[in-house]
Amino acid sequence: MKVIELKKSVTDSNDRDAALLRRELDEKGMLLINLMSAAGSGKTTFLSRTITDLKDLRIAVIEADIESVVDAERIAKLGARSIQAHTDGMCHMDAGMTREAVESIGTDETDVLFLENIGNLICPAEYDTGAQRNVMILSVPEGDDKPLKYPLMFENSNVLIITKTDTMSYFDFDMDKCIERVRRLNPFIEIFPVSAKTGEGMDEWEKWLIREVQETKNRRKR
Amino acid sequence: MEKRYDIVEIKENVLADNDRVAGKIREELRRSNTCFINLMASPGAGKTSLLIKTIEALKDKYTIGVMEADADGDVDAKTISALGVRTLQIHTGGLCHMDADMTFRGLKELGFEDLDLIFLENVGNLVCPAEFDVGAALQVMILSVPEGDDKPLKYPLMFKVSDCMIVNKIDAEAVFDFDYEACVERARALNPEIRPFRLSALKGENVDEWIRYLDGFIREWRK
Repeated sequence: MKVIELKKSVTDSNDRDAALLRRELDEKGMLLINLMSAAGSGKTTFLSRTITDLKDLRIAVIEADIESVVDAERIAKLGARSIQAHTDGMCHMDAGMTREAVESIGTDETDVLFLENIGNLICPAEYDTGAQRNVMILSVPEGDDKPLKYPLMFENSNVLIITKTDTMSYFDFDMDKCIERVRRLNPFIEIFPVSAKTGEGMDEWEKWLIREVQETKNRRKR
Repeated sequence: MEKRYDIVEIKENVLADNDRVAGKIREELRRSNTCFINLMASPGAGKTSLLIKTIEALKDKYTIGVMEADADGDVDAKTISALGVRTLQIHTGGLCHMDADMTFRGLKELGFEDLDLIFLENVGNLVCPAEFDVGAALQVMILSVPEGDDKPLKYPLMFKVSDCMIVNKIDAEAVFDFDYEACVERARALNPEIRPFRLSALKGENVDEWIRYLDGFIREWRK
């Protein structure tokens, strides 16, 4: 009897495509950030705030959704370049789909390109998109137990943004406990608690982003 | 030009197989007169909180079982089993949804013949669980206020396949810009039959309306 491990071969070939895309982006000196979270955690609001705060940074956005154009419209209104990628029912972006979207939006005149992944805390974590950095969002209303239930997302992210901190008093969210659970899964993750609504904490994240953009440009020079 | 390759529609085959097994589950549960409810939502929308309130209200009336499906962990199963109902934790091993086959295995493991009512708390995900029929008699989805009223536009399938839409965490409506009427209108545009509820599972507000409806549904189904 012959056994084929479908999942393994799919992720192997995805990893190859992702590594190739990452190398090309590094050569261009452009930073691609894969932004992931559950549905409704505030990816678009967080991005909007970042775009408004950092006017000197040339930011472009790929909005990946199963359907609809609501998010791409919101981003375009801010004056940032954006495209809407429709996955037609698929629950994540893979490296091939990401390449298609990156080529379609173009990399000229761009310092940082955000891929706003499908709202889903599970599947996007399994697929390397080719981005140089993975940033995930967990919002306070979702609860501090999420690292226990969706560990892979926390393991595979370089940065965790904890959003909607302005609603802490309404929800039973233990920030210290949450951070401790996350660090147990991923000791190297950078954590920024923010409120995209009030702007609190955004400066720390924005400092990180500017530094990453600069480092990506330096990599090209070397 | 001559076609030199075959196309395999893997997804269609997978779903057809799934539907067959889901049909089998329905037959078995009809035979044992066990009403089976599939509860779906994004992570953190309040599935477990609603389940707790529902079980507390109905556990003297029905013999209840619960299957907790998670990618990992057992926090929910601990909470639910503390209520004194038969509970099974299912680990999907990273998989983002429950399919009919996994559900059937879960039901057999839990033992369903002597139960009146079984809840499946599906994996926290607003996308993939919508695609897989698990053989439930009632499909219930939760959307929580902090997630936003635009979710029907972005995750339409979940709203299309659900019988009930529970808008949860209404106690937080003051902090979030959530338009309940607009949300219901968007959901109805996708699914005119969907039955909306507006409640706070944690605070208990309007939960009785949901319980009354569910109790009526179960009685009708078990006749």
